[in-house]
Amino acid sequence: MSLLEVKQVTHTYGSLRSFWRPQKEAQVLSDVSLSLEQGTCMGLIGTSGAGKSTLGKVILGLEKPKEGQVLFQGQDLYAMNSKVRKQMRRDLQVVFQDSYSSVNPRLTAEKIIGEPLDNYERLSASEQKRTIAELLEQVGLSAEDMQKFPGQFSGGQLQRISIARAIALKPKMIVLDESVSSLDMVNQTNILKLLDDLKSEYGLSYLFITHDIRAAYAISDVLTVMEKGRIVETYNNKDEVFTSSEPAVKDLVASILPEHPRNRTVSNGKRVVQV
Amino acid sequence: MEKQQNALQVTDLNVAVKTAKGALPLVQNLKLDLKPGKVLGLVGESGSGKTVTCMALLQLLNSKSMSVEGSIQLRGQELNGLKQKEMRKVLGKEIGFIMQNPMNAFTPVYTIGNQFVETIRTHTNLTKKQAIDLAVSSLESMNLKEPSKLMKMYPFQLSGGMLQRVMIAISMCLRPSVVIADEPTTALDVTNQLQVLRELDRLRTECGTSILLISHDLGVISELADDVAVMRNGRIIEKADVFQLFDHPKHEYTKKLLQARPALPMNEPLRKLVI
Repeated sequence: MSLLEVKQVTHTYGSLRSFWRPQKEAQVLSDVSLSLEQGTCMGLIGTSGAGKSTLGKVILGLEKPKEGQVLFQGQDLYAMNSKVRKQMRRDLQVVFQDSYSSVNPRLTAEKIIGEPLDNYERLSASEQKRTIAELLEQVGLSAEDMQKFPGQFSGGQLQRISIARAIALKPKMIVLDESVSSLDMVNQTNILKLLDDLKSEYGLSYLFITHDIRAAYAISDVLTVMEKGRIVETYNNKDEVFTSSEPAVKDLVASILPEHPRNRTVSNGKRVVQV
Repeated sequence: MEKQQNALQVTDLNVAVKTAKGALPLVQNLKLDLKPGKVLGLVGESGSGKTVTCMALLQLLNSKSMSVEGSIQLRGQELNGLKQKEMRKVLGKEIGFIMQNPMNAFTPVYTIGNQFVETIRTHTNLTKKQAIDLAVSSLESMNLKEPSKLMKMYPFQLSGGMLQRVMIAISMCLRPSVVIADEPTTALDVTNQLQVLRELDRLRTECGTSILLISHDLGVISELADDVAVMRNGRIIEKADVFQLFDHPKHEYTKKLLQARPALPMNEPLRKLVI
């Protein structure tokens, strides 16, 4: 049994129903199906507006799709009673792109990471403090950072706090929605490495949503390309993405920026000198 | 023969923020020279002072809380210490500015055309009709479809990539001698990123504009820049030709930056095949 199964999900966003004008509907997901095994990372790539984040929300149980089913550990996300849902929430966590807006600016790092622990684990005060310190150290911060507020951290550090919060309950799956896109290169690499380490340590599964093929390639086992609400192709061998014949995939691959100026495509011919 | 005059010459720029405990330096002894028609890339991790430098060049820092010392010469004209009224004549006409987030750079309550014409008419004696014509033709040169329809649209009706191209059109329409682009593609997805870089390259070859390209993404730098300056902790630690920097980085930190990027198994023949 796969950990996560998305079955023929279709979703639309509509304008508000009004007497004055007919309701307009935009289809954002059409007939999307995918499955994710325990312990693997799926990279979901596509241009902006392809429906990646909507699919992420549907998988998280935040957006009920118009049609189709989402099965997490064999159970339908949108047809479970509150008790089961509470248990499910524990195993399914999320890290968003904008770390500043996903934490409460008035809480200290300790409170932020402690929130899921308060909800699920009954730990004594000292035990909770020790767990939080351990989590902070695991994501590369120090226990002294516990008393700091979000405003005192940099974007990369705050993203680490979001990750610490996500792994606090030892979930089975984390949805990473553009989690590294707003970070600089050095931070990006560090966070990717951290995610990879955590994955092998806890046997986590990730859904890694991004438009950056480079980052997706570095961390994923399986790559899926989306375009206009549809899944174009899924590559179980991620190297195949570079030789795909699908035009949408080709476009994406052709837009990857070069690693060295000698491979540049943008510049005009006269400046390209071989050294 | 007289040495060709630099479009923008910055010498010994020091920026400090005034705090209760005294002045805290943000940028120290910064030296930059931007040659006509060339692209100078400014790289560094977040917090290294890239954006503060560009704000200082544009004289947009609050003089009550920040101190800017040194000389900033735009084609021989000293900018540092200019009165706000004088500076306003330079901004937009002599120096174009492309901001990181196109969604925040426009006023949401005015149409694109309104904001475009405002910029043009502030700096020239064109009539409204001539200004509209100029705006439409510069939008057209940005490969934006149906420019006259676009002029009547509001910023939120356009996608990020389109808005960014509108912003480039606005900053380029008066043919400034220098354009400062602060992370112009960070908020865009890969396909839009490449398109925006192409437009920037086209404009500098056609109009001879010099571009100061600020980015943390070495891919962007290797695609467009002629020279690169690496910044760290408010200082420039290495300055070199882009090929030299990628082939023979001198500073340890530069080497670290170059290695930080996740590699792709894309060798050159494969890349050519894709394109």
